Amino acid sequence: MRLNKAELIFRKDWREIRRNWQVILPIVLLPLIISLVLPIILIVVSSVIPSSGTPLSDFKPLIQGLPEAIQEQFAGMTDIQVMIYIMATYFFAPFFLIIPLMASSVISSDSFAGEKERKTIEALLATPISDSELFFGKMLVSFIPSMVVTFISFVVYTLVFDLFSFGIFNGLLLLPNLNWILMIFGLAPTLALASIGLTVIVSAKVKGFKEAQQISVILLLPVLALVFGQVAGAIILGPLVILILISIFVILDFVVFRIGVKLFKREEILSKLA
Amino acid sequence: MIITGVIRLAIIEVENLTKIFNSFVAVDNLSFVIEEGEVFGLLGPNGAGKTTTIRMLAGLISPSKGSAKVKGFTVGSDSLKVRETVGILTENPSLYERLTAFENMDFFAEAYGLSDQQKKQDRIKQLLTFFGLWERRNARVATFSKGMKQKLAIARALVHEPPVLFLDEPTSGLDPESSKEVRDLIAILSANEKVTVLLCTHNLEDAQKLCFRVMIINRGKKVIVGRTNDLRNRISGTLKVEITLKNLTPEIVTAVKNIPHVKQVHQDESTSKFSVNVDDIESDTPELVKKVVEVGGLILGVNVVRPSLEEAYIKLIKEEKE
Repeated sequence: MRLNKAELIFRKDWREIRRNWQVILPIVLLPLIISLVLPIILIVVSSVIPSSGTPLSDFKPLIQGLPEAIQEQFAGMTDIQVMIYIMATYFFAPFFLIIPLMASSVISSDSFAGEKERKTIEALLATPISDSELFFGKMLVSFIPSMVVTFISFVVYTLVFDLFSFGIFNGLLLLPNLNWILMIFGLAPTLALASIGLTVIVSAKVKGFKEAQQISVILLLPVLALVFGQVAGAIILGPLVILILISIFVILDFVVFRIGVKLFKREEILSKLA
Repeated sequence: MIITGVIRLAIIEVENLTKIFNSFVAVDNLSFVIEEGEVFGLLGPNGAGKTTTIRMLAGLISPSKGSAKVKGFTVGSDSLKVRETVGILTENPSLYERLTAFENMDFFAEAYGLSDQQKKQDRIKQLLTFFGLWERRNARVATFSKGMKQKLAIARALVHEPPVLFLDEPTSGLDPESSKEVRDLIAILSANEKVTVLLCTHNLEDAQKLCFRVMIINRGKKVIVGRTNDLRNRISGTLKVEITLKNLTPEIVTAVKNIPHVKQVHQDESTSKFSVNVDDIESDTPELVKKVVEVGGLILGVNVVRPSLEEAYIKLIKEEKE
Protein backbone atom coordinates (compact mmCIF):
# COMPACT_ATOMS: atom_id res chain seq x y z
CA MET A 1 0.00 0.00 0.00
CA ARG A 2 1.33 3.43 -1.00
CA LEU A 3 0.66 5.78 1.91
CA ASN A 4 1.03 8.89 -0.27
CA LYS A 5 -2.01 7.77 -2.30
CA ALA A 6 -4.09 7.32 0.85
CA GLU A 7 -2.88 10.74 2.00
CA LEU A 8 -3.93 12.17 -1.40
CA ILE A 9 -7.47 10.87 -0.86
CA PHE A 10 -7.40 12.39 2.61
CA ARG A 11 -6.32 15.82 1.32
CA LYS A 12 -8.95 15.83 -1.42
CA ASP A 13 -11.78 14.75 0.87
CA TRP A 14 -10.78 17.13 3.63
CA ARG A 15 -10.82 20.06 1.18
CA GLU A 16 -14.36 19.09 0.23
CA ILE A 17 -15.55 18.46 3.79
CA ARG A 18 -14.35 21.75 5.23
CA ARG A 19 -16.46 23.54 2.61
CA ASN A 20 -19.56 21.54 3.53
CA TRP A 21 -21.37 23.09 6.52
CA GLN A 22 -23.76 20.13 6.71
CA VAL A 23 -20.79 18.01 7.74
CA ILE A 24 -18.85 20.62 9.71
CA LEU A 25 -21.77 21.81 11.86
CA PRO A 26 -22.50 18.53 13.70
CA ILE A 27 -18.78 17.88 14.09
CA VAL A 28 -18.34 21.19 15.92
CA LEU A 29 -21.67 21.44 17.78
CA LEU A 30 -21.69 18.16 19.71
CA PRO A 31 -18.15 18.54 21.10
CA LEU A 32 -19.01 22.11 22.07
CA ILE A 33 -22.00 20.88 24.08
CA ILE A 34 -20.08 18.08 25.77
CA SER A 35 -16.86 19.94 26.53
CA LEU A 36 -18.25 23.36 27.37
CA VAL A 37 -22.02 23.45 27.93
CA LEU A 38 -22.34 20.35 30.16
CA PRO A 39 -19.49 21.32 32.53
CA ILE A 40 -20.88 24.86 32.80
CA ILE A 41 -24.35 23.47 33.67
CA LEU A 42 -22.75 21.28 36.34
CA ILE A 43 -20.85 24.24 37.74
CA VAL A 44 -23.99 26.38 37.85
CA VAL A 45 -26.07 23.59 39.46
CA SER A 46 -23.41 22.84 42.07
CA SER A 47 -23.16 26.50 43.01
CA VAL A 48 -26.96 26.68 43.45
CA ILE A 49 -27.34 23.53 45.58
CA PRO A 50 -25.50 24.72 48.74
CA SER A 51 -27.38 28.04 48.82
CA SER A 52 -30.75 26.35 48.37
CA GLY A 53 -29.89 23.93 51.12
CA THR A 54 -30.99 20.95 49.03
CA PRO A 55 -29.38 17.77 50.31
CA LEU A 56 -27.73 15.57 47.70
CA SER A 57 -30.14 12.80 48.55
CA ASP A 58 -30.91 11.97 44.88
CA PHE A 59 -27.23 11.69 44.21
CA LYS A 60 -26.33 9.50 47.17
CA PRO A 61 -27.55 6.13 45.77
CA LEU A 62 -25.34 6.66 42.72
CA ILE A 63 -22.30 7.25 44.94
CA GLN A 64 -23.09 4.26 47.08
CA GLY A 65 -23.34 2.10 43.95
CA LEU A 66 -19.71 2.86 43.06
CA PRO A 67 -16.95 0.36 43.92
CA GLU A 68 -15.35 0.77 47.32
CA ALA A 69 -11.99 1.64 45.83
CA ILE A 70 -13.54 4.69 44.24
CA GLN A 71 -15.57 5.59 47.29
CA GLU A 72 -12.32 5.65 49.29
CA GLN A 73 -11.17 8.54 47.11
CA PHE A 74 -14.00 10.65 48.56
CA ALA A 75 -12.61 10.57 52.09
CA GLY A 76 -12.59 14.03 53.57
CA MET A 77 -14.58 15.58 50.69
CA THR A 78 -17.76 17.59 51.10
CA ASP A 79 -20.92 16.47 49.25
CA ILE A 80 -20.43 19.11 46.60
CA GLN A 81 -16.79 18.12 46.12
CA VAL A 82 -17.83 14.45 45.77
CA MET A 83 -20.47 15.32 43.18
CA ILE A 84 -18.10 17.42 41.10
CA TYR A 85 -15.32 14.86 41.44
CA ILE A 86 -17.52 12.00 40.26
CA MET A 87 -19.06 13.99 37.44
CA ALA A 88 -15.78 15.39 36.18
CA THR A 89 -13.69 12.26 36.40
CA TYR A 90 -16.15 9.37 35.89
CA PHE A 91 -19.65 10.15 34.65
CA PHE A 92 -18.63 12.51 31.85
CA ALA A 93 -15.86 10.25 30.59
CA PRO A 94 -17.94 8.04 28.25
CA PHE A 95 -19.40 11.16 26.63
CA PHE A 96 -15.95 11.71 25.22
CA LEU A 97 -16.25 8.42 23.37
CA ILE A 98 -19.40 9.74 21.69
CA ILE A 99 -17.50 12.73 20.24
CA PRO A 100 -15.14 10.77 17.94
CA LEU A 101 -17.92 8.34 17.05
CA MET A 102 -20.39 11.04 16.07
CA ALA A 103 -17.82 13.15 14.23
CA SER A 104 -16.40 10.23 12.31
CA SER A 105 -19.84 8.78 11.59
CA VAL A 106 -20.87 11.95 9.71
CA ILE A 107 -17.73 11.93 7.58
CA SER A 108 -17.39 8.19 7.01
CA SER A 109 -21.06 7.84 6.04
CA ASP A 110 -20.33 10.39 3.32
CA SER A 111 -17.12 8.64 2.16
CA PHE A 112 -18.30 6.41 -0.68
CA ALA A 113 -22.06 6.99 -0.43
CA GLY A 114 -21.56 10.75 -0.88
CA GLU A 115 -19.35 10.18 -3.93
CA LYS A 116 -22.07 7.95 -5.37
CA GLU A 117 -24.76 10.56 -4.72
CA ARG A 118 -22.69 13.34 -6.29
CA LYS A 119 -21.74 11.04 -9.20
CA THR A 120 -18.00 11.52 -8.67
CA ILE A 121 -17.24 7.91 -7.80
CA GLU A 122 -16.63 6.58 -11.31
CA ALA A 123 -13.70 8.88 -12.08
CA LEU A 124 -12.23 8.12 -8.64
CA LEU A 125 -12.52 4.36 -9.15
CA ALA A 126 -10.96 4.72 -12.61
CA THR A 127 -7.72 6.08 -11.12
CA PRO A 128 -4.78 3.74 -10.51
CA ILE A 129 -5.32 3.90 -6.75
CA SER A 130 -5.61 0.45 -5.19
CA ASP A 131 -8.56 -0.75 -3.12
CA SER A 132 -6.59 -0.68 0.14
CA GLU A 133 -5.25 2.84 -0.58
CA LEU A 134 -8.77 4.10 -1.31
CA PHE A 135 -10.22 2.41 1.75
CA PHE A 136 -7.42 3.63 4.03
CA GLY A 137 -7.63 7.18 2.62
CA LYS A 138 -11.35 7.28 3.27
CA MET A 139 -10.73 6.04 6.83
CA LEU A 140 -8.06 8.70 7.41
CA VAL A 141 -10.35 11.55 6.44
CA SER A 142 -12.85 10.44 9.08
CA PHE A 143 -10.25 9.57 11.68
CA ILE A 144 -7.99 12.64 11.72
CA PRO A 145 -10.67 15.38 12.01
CA SER A 146 -12.66 13.39 14.57
CA MET A 147 -9.58 12.84 16.72
CA VAL A 148 -8.53 16.49 16.43
CA VAL A 149 -12.02 17.50 17.58
CA THR A 150 -11.82 14.98 20.46
CA PHE A 151 -8.41 16.24 21.64
CA ILE A 152 -9.48 19.89 21.46
CA SER A 153 -12.69 19.04 23.36
CA PHE A 154 -10.65 17.26 26.01
CA VAL A 155 -8.36 20.28 26.44
CA VAL A 156 -11.37 22.63 26.71
CA TYR A 157 -13.12 20.31 29.17
CA THR A 158 -9.99 19.98 31.29
CA LEU A 159 -9.44 23.74 31.39
CA VAL A 160 -13.07 24.47 32.31
CA PHE A 161 -13.13 21.92 35.13
CA ASP A 162 -9.69 22.78 36.45
CA LEU A 163 -10.50 26.49 36.53
CA PHE A 164 -13.62 25.68 38.47
CA SER A 165 -12.26 22.98 40.75
CA PHE A 166 -9.08 24.91 41.58
CA GLY A 167 -11.02 26.99 44.12
CA ILE A 168 -13.33 24.26 45.39
CA PHE A 169 -10.60 21.66 45.90
CA ASN A 170 -8.13 24.10 47.42
CA GLY A 171 -5.68 24.19 44.52
CA LEU A 172 -6.17 20.57 43.41
CA LEU A 173 -6.38 20.03 39.64
CA LEU A 174 -8.81 17.19 38.87
CA LEU A 175 -7.81 16.63 35.27
CA PRO A 176 -6.06 15.11 33.43
CA ASN A 177 -5.73 11.85 35.29
CA LEU A 178 -4.59 8.41 34.13
CA ASN A 179 -8.14 7.28 33.27
CA TRP A 180 -8.74 10.20 30.99
CA ILE A 181 -5.35 10.01 29.31
CA LEU A 182 -5.87 6.32 28.54
CA MET A 183 -9.38 6.97 27.34
CA ILE A 184 -8.70 9.99 25.13
CA PHE A 185 -5.39 8.84 23.65
CA GLY A 186 -6.00 5.07 23.66
CA LEU A 187 -9.62 4.04 23.75
CA ALA A 188 -11.12 6.90 21.71
CA PRO A 189 -8.82 6.41 18.68
CA THR A 190 -9.09 2.62 18.60
CA LEU A 191 -12.86 2.71 19.09
CA ALA A 192 -13.20 5.42 16.42
CA LEU A 193 -11.13 3.40 13.92
CA ALA A 194 -13.33 0.32 14.31
CA SER A 195 -16.47 2.39 13.93
CA ILE A 196 -15.05 4.27 10.92
CA GLY A 197 -14.02 1.02 9.23
CA LEU A 198 -17.50 -0.43 9.66
CA THR A 199 -19.19 2.77 8.48
CA VAL A 200 -16.97 3.04 5.40
CA ILE A 201 -17.88 -0.57 4.54
CA VAL A 202 -21.57 0.31 4.91
CA SER A 203 -21.06 3.52 2.90
CA ALA A 204 -19.56 1.52 0.01
CA LYS A 205 -22.51 -0.87 0.03
CA VAL A 206 -25.47 1.50 0.20
CA LYS A 207 -26.75 3.99 -2.35
CA GLY A 208 -26.77 7.25 -0.40
CA PHE A 209 -25.32 9.21 2.52
CA LYS A 210 -28.52 9.16 4.62
CA GLU A 211 -28.84 5.39 4.36
CA ALA A 212 -25.22 5.00 5.46
CA GLN A 213 -25.67 7.35 8.40
CA GLN A 214 -28.84 5.67 9.61
CA ILE A 215 -27.06 2.33 9.70
CA SER A 216 -23.91 3.77 11.30
CA VAL A 217 -25.95 5.23 14.19
CA ILE A 218 -26.45 1.64 15.38
CA LEU A 219 -22.71 1.60 16.17
CA LEU A 220 -23.32 4.27 18.80
CA LEU A 221 -25.56 1.98 20.85
CA PRO A 222 -22.78 0.07 22.69
CA VAL A 223 -21.16 3.37 23.68
CA LEU A 224 -24.48 4.79 24.89
CA ALA A 225 -24.88 1.60 26.94
CA LEU A 226 -21.49 2.39 28.44
CA VAL A 227 -22.61 5.94 29.32
CA PHE A 228 -25.73 4.72 31.10
CA GLY A 229 -23.87 1.79 32.64
CA GLN A 230 -21.31 4.13 34.13
CA VAL A 231 -23.97 6.56 35.41
CA ALA A 232 -25.87 3.67 36.97
CA GLY A 233 -22.67 2.39 38.53
CA ALA A 234 -22.86 -0.90 36.63
CA ILE A 235 -19.67 -0.28 34.64
CA ILE A 236 -16.73 1.72 35.83
CA LEU A 237 -14.08 2.71 33.33
CA GLY A 238 -11.00 2.19 35.46
CA PRO A 239 -7.49 1.98 33.95
CA LEU A 240 -7.58 -1.82 33.72
CA VAL A 241 -10.96 -1.91 31.98
CA ILE A 242 -9.80 0.80 29.58
CA LEU A 243 -6.58 -1.09 28.78
CA ILE A 244 -8.55 -4.28 28.10
CA LEU A 245 -10.94 -2.36 25.83
CA ILE A 246 -8.01 -0.76 23.97
CA SER A 247 -6.49 -4.22 23.33
CA ILE A 248 -9.81 -5.55 22.05
CA PHE A 249 -10.32 -2.58 19.75
CA VAL A 250 -6.77 -2.75 18.34
CA ILE A 251 -7.48 -6.31 17.21
CA LEU A 252 -10.93 -5.31 15.98
CA ASP A 253 -9.44 -2.39 13.97
CA PHE A 254 -7.08 -4.73 12.18
CA VAL A 255 -9.86 -7.24 11.45
CA VAL A 256 -12.27 -4.54 10.24
CA PHE A 257 -9.62 -3.08 7.89
CA ARG A 258 -8.85 -6.48 6.38
CA ILE A 259 -12.54 -7.29 5.95
CA GLY A 260 -13.23 -3.81 4.56
CA VAL A 261 -10.56 -4.12 1.85
CA LYS A 262 -11.77 -7.63 1.02
CA LEU A 263 -15.37 -6.50 0.73
CA PHE A 264 -14.44 -3.44 -1.33
CA LYS A 265 -15.65 -4.19 -4.85
CA ARG A 266 -15.46 -1.47 -7.49
CA GLU A 267 -18.01 -3.33 -9.55
CA GLU A 268 -20.56 -3.46 -6.74
CA ILE A 269 -20.07 0.24 -6.00
CA LEU A 270 -20.66 1.14 -9.66
CA SER A 271 -23.76 -1.04 -9.80
CA LYS A 272 -25.23 0.96 -6.90
CA LEU A 273 -24.90 4.32 -8.62
CA ALA A 274 -28.00 6.42 -8.00
CA MET B 1 0.45 -8.53 -29.71
CA ILE B 2 -1.16 -8.52 -33.17
CA ILE B 3 0.65 -6.64 -35.91
CA THR B 4 -1.58 -5.63 -38.80
CA GLY B 5 -0.81 -5.25 -42.48
CA VAL B 6 0.02 -1.55 -42.18
CA ILE B 7 2.49 -2.32 -39.38
CA ARG B 8 0.52 -0.66 -36.65
CA LEU B 9 0.42 -2.09 -33.19
CA ALA B 10 -2.84 -3.39 -31.81
CA ILE B 11 -3.32 -1.37 -28.62
CA ILE B 12 -6.69 -2.78 -27.62
CA GLU B 13 -7.44 -6.44 -28.27
CA VAL B 14 -10.85 -7.72 -27.32
CA GLU B 15 -11.89 -11.33 -27.68
CA ASN B 16 -15.36 -12.68 -26.91
CA LEU B 17 -15.81 -10.08 -24.19
CA THR B 18 -18.95 -10.80 -22.21
CA LYS B 19 -20.49 -9.23 -19.14
CA ILE B 20 -23.42 -10.80 -17.33
CA PHE B 21 -25.14 -9.00 -14.42
CA ASN B 22 -27.10 -11.70 -12.58
CA SER B 23 -28.84 -13.22 -15.58
CA PHE B 24 -28.81 -10.09 -17.76
CA VAL B 25 -26.29 -10.18 -20.59
CA ALA B 26 -25.07 -6.57 -20.89
CA VAL B 27 -22.20 -7.31 -23.31
CA ASP B 28 -22.33 -10.39 -25.47
CA ASN B 29 -19.22 -11.87 -27.11
CA LEU B 30 -17.66 -8.70 -28.48
CA SER B 31 -14.43 -9.07 -30.41
CA PHE B 32 -12.44 -6.27 -32.00
CA VAL B 33 -8.98 -4.80 -32.30
CA ILE B 34 -8.05 -1.12 -32.14
CA GLU B 35 -4.73 -0.02 -33.55
CA GLU B 36 -2.31 2.56 -32.22
CA GLY B 37 -3.44 6.09 -33.00
CA GLU B 38 -6.81 4.96 -34.29
CA VAL B 39 -10.06 6.70 -33.37
CA PHE B 40 -12.55 3.86 -33.05
CA GLY B 41 -16.25 4.61 -32.64
CA LEU B 42 -18.54 2.54 -30.48
CA LEU B 43 -22.12 3.33 -31.44
CA GLY B 44 -25.42 2.06 -30.23
CA PRO B 45 -28.72 3.09 -28.65
CA ASN B 46 -29.17 3.57 -24.90
CA GLY B 47 -28.63 0.31 -23.02
CA ALA B 48 -26.67 -1.23 -25.90
CA GLY B 49 -23.73 -2.02 -23.62
CA LYS B 50 -21.34 0.80 -24.59
CA THR B 51 -20.67 2.04 -21.05
CA THR B 52 -20.28 -1.50 -19.70
CA THR B 53 -17.75 -2.21 -22.47
CA ILE B 54 -15.78 0.93 -21.59
CA ARG B 55 -15.92 0.11 -17.87
CA MET B 56 -14.49 -3.35 -18.54
CA LEU B 57 -11.74 -2.00 -20.81
CA ALA B 58 -10.87 0.69 -18.24
CA GLY B 59 -10.34 -1.93 -15.54
CA LEU B 60 -13.33 -0.82 -13.48
CA ILE B 61 -15.27 -4.05 -13.76
CA SER B 62 -14.18 -7.56 -14.68
CA PRO B 63 -15.43 -9.45 -17.70
CA SER B 64 -17.67 -12.47 -17.04
CA LYS B 65 -16.20 -14.26 -20.05
CA GLY B 66 -13.66 -13.56 -22.74
CA SER B 67 -10.56 -11.41 -22.52
CA ALA B 68 -9.29 -7.94 -23.26
CA LYS B 69 -5.86 -6.39 -23.35
CA VAL B 70 -5.04 -2.69 -23.23
CA LYS B 71 -1.49 -1.89 -24.32
CA GLY B 72 -0.53 -5.44 -23.40
CA PHE B 73 -2.07 -5.35 -19.92
CA THR B 74 -4.81 -7.85 -19.26
CA VAL B 75 -8.11 -6.44 -18.05
CA GLY B 76 -8.95 -8.14 -14.76
CA SER B 77 -5.53 -9.39 -13.68
CA ASP B 78 -3.54 -6.18 -14.48
CA SER B 79 -6.33 -3.71 -13.75
CA LEU B 80 -4.09 -1.26 -11.88
CA LYS B 81 -1.73 -1.07 -14.88
CA VAL B 82 -4.72 -0.77 -17.24
CA ARG B 83 -6.05 2.16 -15.22
CA GLU B 84 -2.62 3.84 -15.31
CA THR B 85 -2.55 3.53 -19.10
CA VAL B 86 -6.01 4.83 -19.77
CA GLY B 87 -7.53 8.30 -19.62
CA ILE B 88 -11.27 8.17 -19.23
CA LEU B 89 -14.12 10.60 -19.73
CA THR B 90 -17.04 9.03 -17.94
CA GLU B 91 -20.72 9.38 -18.81
CA ASN B 92 -21.07 12.03 -16.08
CA PRO B 93 -18.30 14.62 -15.75
CA SER B 94 -17.50 13.12 -12.28
CA LEU B 95 -16.01 16.35 -10.94
CA TYR B 96 -15.76 17.51 -7.35
CA GLU B 97 -18.04 20.52 -7.32
CA ARG B 98 -16.79 21.94 -4.00
CA LEU B 99 -13.25 21.96 -5.33
CA THR B 100 -11.89 24.47 -7.82
CA ALA B 101 -10.98 23.53 -11.39
CA PHE B 102 -7.30 23.58 -10.43
CA GLU B 103 -7.84 21.46 -7.32
CA ASN B 104 -9.72 18.86 -9.37
CA MET B 105 -6.90 18.70 -11.91
CA ASP B 106 -4.27 18.62 -9.18
CA PHE B 107 -5.94 15.70 -7.43
CA PHE B 108 -6.29 13.59 -10.56
CA ALA B 109 -2.77 14.47 -11.75
CA GLU B 110 -1.35 13.08 -8.50
CA ALA B 111 -3.71 10.12 -8.51
CA TYR B 112 -2.35 9.21 -11.96
CA GLY B 113 1.23 9.48 -10.71
CA LEU B 114 2.36 12.99 -11.68
CA SER B 115 4.52 13.69 -8.65
CA ASP B 116 6.92 16.32 -10.05
CA GLN B 117 5.36 19.61 -8.93
CA GLN B 118 6.67 21.71 -11.82
CA LYS B 119 5.66 19.19 -14.50
CA LYS B 120 2.26 18.81 -12.90
CA GLN B 121 1.64 22.55 -12.76
CA ASP B 122 2.79 23.01 -16.36
CA ARG B 123 0.55 20.22 -17.62
CA ILE B 124 -2.48 21.55 -15.74
CA LYS B 125 -1.83 25.06 -17.05
CA GLN B 126 -1.41 23.77 -20.60
CA LEU B 127 -4.71 21.86 -20.52
CA LEU B 128 -6.76 24.51 -18.73
CA THR B 129 -5.44 27.14 -21.13
CA PHE B 130 -6.28 24.97 -24.14
CA PHE B 131 -9.86 24.54 -22.92
CA GLY B 132 -10.20 28.23 -22.02
CA LEU B 133 -10.52 27.53 -18.31
CA TRP B 134 -7.25 28.93 -16.98
CA GLU B 135 -8.82 32.25 -15.97
CA ARG B 136 -11.45 30.33 -13.97
CA ARG B 137 -8.98 27.89 -12.39
CA ASN B 138 -9.68 29.13 -8.87
CA ALA B 139 -13.47 29.07 -9.22
CA ARG B 140 -15.40 26.18 -7.72
CA VAL B 141 -16.67 23.71 -10.28
CA ALA B 142 -20.20 24.14 -8.90
CA THR B 143 -20.26 27.57 -10.56
CA PHE B 144 -19.35 26.16 -14.00
CA SER B 145 -21.76 25.70 -16.91
CA LYS B 146 -22.42 22.22 -18.29
CA GLY B 147 -20.06 22.89 -21.19
CA MET B 148 -17.26 24.10 -18.91
CA LYS B 149 -17.64 21.00 -16.75
CA GLN B 150 -17.44 18.79 -19.83
CA LYS B 151 -14.27 20.56 -20.97
CA LEU B 152 -12.72 20.20 -17.52
CA ALA B 153 -13.60 16.50 -17.47
CA ILE B 154 -11.86 16.03 -20.83
CA ALA B 155 -8.84 17.97 -19.54
CA ARG B 156 -8.78 15.67 -16.51
CA ALA B 157 -8.80 12.59 -18.74
CA LEU B 158 -5.73 13.95 -20.54
CA VAL B 159 -3.78 15.10 -17.50
CA HIS B 160 -1.35 12.14 -17.37
CA GLU B 161 -0.82 12.08 -21.15
CA PRO B 162 -2.39 8.64 -21.55
CA PRO B 163 -1.63 6.59 -24.67
CA VAL B 164 -5.22 5.33 -24.64
CA LEU B 165 -8.33 7.47 -24.24
CA PHE B 166 -11.86 6.29 -23.56
CA LEU B 167 -14.32 9.05 -24.28
CA ASP B 168 -17.97 8.57 -23.40
CA GLU B 169 -19.97 11.27 -25.23
CA PRO B 170 -17.17 13.90 -25.32
CA THR B 171 -19.17 16.63 -27.08
CA SER B 172 -22.30 16.19 -24.97
CA GLY B 173 -23.42 19.57 -23.61
CA LEU B 174 -20.93 21.55 -25.67
CA ASP B 175 -21.81 24.39 -28.03
CA PRO B 176 -20.93 23.91 -31.73
CA GLU B 177 -17.68 25.86 -31.41
CA SER B 178 -16.50 23.89 -28.39
CA SER B 179 -17.60 20.62 -30.03
CA LYS B 180 -15.40 21.46 -32.98
CA GLU B 181 -12.48 22.28 -30.67
CA VAL B 182 -12.86 18.91 -28.95
CA ARG B 183 -13.11 17.08 -32.28
CA ASP B 184 -10.00 18.91 -33.51
CA LEU B 185 -8.18 17.98 -30.32
CA ILE B 186 -9.08 14.29 -30.69
CA ALA B 187 -7.91 14.38 -34.31
CA ILE B 188 -4.60 16.01 -33.28
CA LEU B 189 -4.04 13.54 -30.44
CA SER B 190 -4.65 10.65 -32.79
CA ALA B 191 -2.59 11.95 -35.71
CA ASN B 192 0.34 13.63 -33.96
CA GLU B 193 0.67 11.89 -30.64
CA LYS B 194 -0.56 8.44 -31.68
CA VAL B 195 -3.12 8.40 -28.89
CA THR B 196 -5.59 5.58 -29.37
CA VAL B 197 -9.16 6.73 -28.83
CA LEU B 198 -12.25 4.67 -28.16
CA LEU B 199 -15.12 7.04 -28.79
CA CYS B 200 -18.47 6.12 -27.40
CA THR B 201 -21.11 8.39 -28.81
CA HIS B 202 -24.65 9.05 -29.92
CA ASN B 203 -23.41 11.97 -31.96
CA LEU B 204 -22.97 10.43 -35.37
CA GLU B 205 -21.46 13.64 -36.70
CA ASP B 206 -18.58 13.12 -34.28
CA ALA B 207 -18.21 9.50 -35.35
CA GLN B 208 -18.36 10.38 -39.01
CA LYS B 209 -15.80 13.15 -38.72
CA LEU B 210 -13.39 11.40 -36.39
CA CYS B 211 -13.59 7.64 -36.65
CA PHE B 212 -11.74 5.60 -39.19
CA ARG B 213 -13.71 2.56 -38.09
CA VAL B 214 -16.88 2.17 -36.08
CA MET B 215 -18.66 -0.69 -34.41
CA ILE B 216 -22.40 -0.59 -33.91
CA ILE B 217 -23.68 -2.63 -31.00
CA ASN B 218 -27.21 -3.34 -29.86
CA ARG B 219 -28.40 -5.30 -26.82
CA GLY B 220 -24.76 -6.07 -26.05
CA LYS B 221 -24.11 -7.71 -29.40
CA LYS B 222 -22.05 -6.57 -32.35
CA VAL B 223 -24.30 -5.48 -35.22
CA ILE B 224 -21.57 -4.44 -37.60
CA VAL B 225 -17.97 -3.26 -37.58
CA GLY B 226 -16.02 -1.63 -40.35
CA ARG B 227 -14.61 1.51 -41.90
CA THR B 228 -16.95 4.45 -41.45
CA ASN B 229 -17.12 5.26 -45.19
CA ASP B 230 -17.64 1.64 -46.26
CA LEU B 231 -20.33 1.20 -43.67
CA ARG B 232 -22.46 4.15 -44.68
CA ASN B 233 -22.15 3.33 -48.38
CA ARG B 234 -22.85 -0.34 -47.85
CA ILE B 235 -25.89 0.22 -45.72
CA SER B 236 -27.43 3.28 -47.29
CA GLY B 237 -26.95 2.11 -50.87
CA THR B 238 -25.73 4.25 -53.74
CA LEU B 239 -24.86 7.91 -53.88
CA LYS B 240 -27.41 10.56 -54.80
CA VAL B 241 -27.22 13.55 -57.14
CA GLU B 242 -29.37 16.44 -56.01
CA ILE B 243 -30.41 19.08 -58.58
CA THR B 244 -32.05 22.39 -57.67
CA LEU B 245 -34.06 24.06 -60.43
CA LYS B 246 -35.77 27.38 -60.91
CA ASN B 247 -38.99 25.47 -61.67
CA LEU B 248 -39.57 21.74 -61.33
CA THR B 249 -42.04 20.60 -64.02
CA PRO B 250 -43.58 17.14 -64.64
CA GLU B 251 -41.80 17.05 -68.02
CA ILE B 252 -38.43 17.28 -66.34
CA VAL B 253 -39.28 14.48 -63.91
CA THR B 254 -40.51 12.22 -66.72
CA ALA B 255 -37.41 12.91 -68.79
CA VAL B 256 -35.13 12.08 -65.88
CA LYS B 257 -37.03 8.88 -65.08
CA ASN B 258 -36.45 7.73 -68.67
CA ILE B 259 -32.66 7.87 -68.35
CA PRO B 260 -31.51 4.18 -68.31
CA HIS B 261 -29.14 4.38 -65.27
CA VAL B 262 -31.51 6.29 -63.06
CA LYS B 263 -32.89 4.11 -60.31
CA GLN B 264 -35.10 6.35 -58.19
CA VAL B 265 -36.26 9.97 -58.37
CA HIS B 266 -37.20 11.79 -55.20
CA GLN B 267 -39.14 15.01 -55.78
CA ASP B 268 -39.36 18.01 -53.49
CA GLU B 269 -41.72 20.41 -55.25
CA SER B 270 -41.78 22.92 -52.40
CA THR B 271 -38.10 23.72 -53.01
CA SER B 272 -38.01 22.81 -56.75
CA LYS B 273 -35.42 20.21 -55.93
CA PHE B 274 -35.12 16.56 -56.88
CA SER B 275 -32.59 13.87 -56.15
CA VAL B 276 -31.62 10.79 -58.11
CA ASN B 277 -29.87 7.57 -57.07
CA VAL B 278 -27.10 6.74 -59.52
CA ASP B 279 -24.45 4.04 -59.86
CA ASP B 280 -21.54 6.09 -61.11
CA ILE B 281 -21.35 9.75 -60.22
CA GLU B 282 -18.74 10.64 -62.83
CA SER B 283 -20.55 9.27 -65.88
CA ASP B 284 -24.16 9.62 -64.76
CA THR B 285 -24.12 13.23 -63.52
CA PRO B 286 -23.26 14.94 -66.87
CA GLU B 287 -25.91 12.86 -68.63
CA LEU B 288 -28.47 13.85 -66.04
CA VAL B 289 -27.65 17.55 -66.31
CA LYS B 290 -27.73 17.38 -70.13
CA LYS B 291 -31.21 15.80 -70.12
CA VAL B 292 -32.62 18.40 -67.69
CA VAL B 293 -31.29 21.25 -69.83
CA GLU B 294 -32.68 19.60 -73.02
CA VAL B 295 -36.23 19.65 -71.60
CA GLY B 296 -35.90 23.31 -70.66
CA GLY B 297 -34.89 23.03 -66.99
CA LEU B 298 -33.04 26.01 -65.49
CA ILE B 299 -30.45 24.54 -63.12
CA LEU B 300 -29.53 26.54 -60.01
CA GLY B 301 -27.28 23.93 -58.42
CA VAL B 302 -25.98 20.35 -58.58
CA ASN B 303 -24.83 18.49 -55.42
CA VAL B 304 -23.55 15.01 -54.78
CA VAL B 305 -25.18 13.74 -51.57
CA ARG B 306 -23.40 11.01 -49.67
CA PRO B 307 -25.48 8.87 -47.33
CA SER B 308 -24.75 9.86 -43.75
CA LEU B 309 -23.61 7.53 -41.01
CA GLU B 310 -26.77 8.52 -39.22
CA GLU B 311 -28.91 7.07 -42.00
CA ALA B 312 -26.87 3.89 -41.91
CA TYR B 313 -27.11 3.69 -38.14
CA ILE B 314 -30.87 4.23 -37.99
CA LYS B 315 -31.42 1.67 -40.73
CA LEU B 316 -29.33 -0.93 -38.94
CA ILE B 317 -30.89 -0.42 -35.53
CA LYS B 318 -34.36 -0.55 -37.11
CA GLU B 319 -33.49 -3.82 -38.81
CA GLU B 320 -32.20 -5.20 -35.51
CA LYS B 321 -35.44 -4.33 -33.74
CA GLU B 322 -37.46 -6.04 -36.48
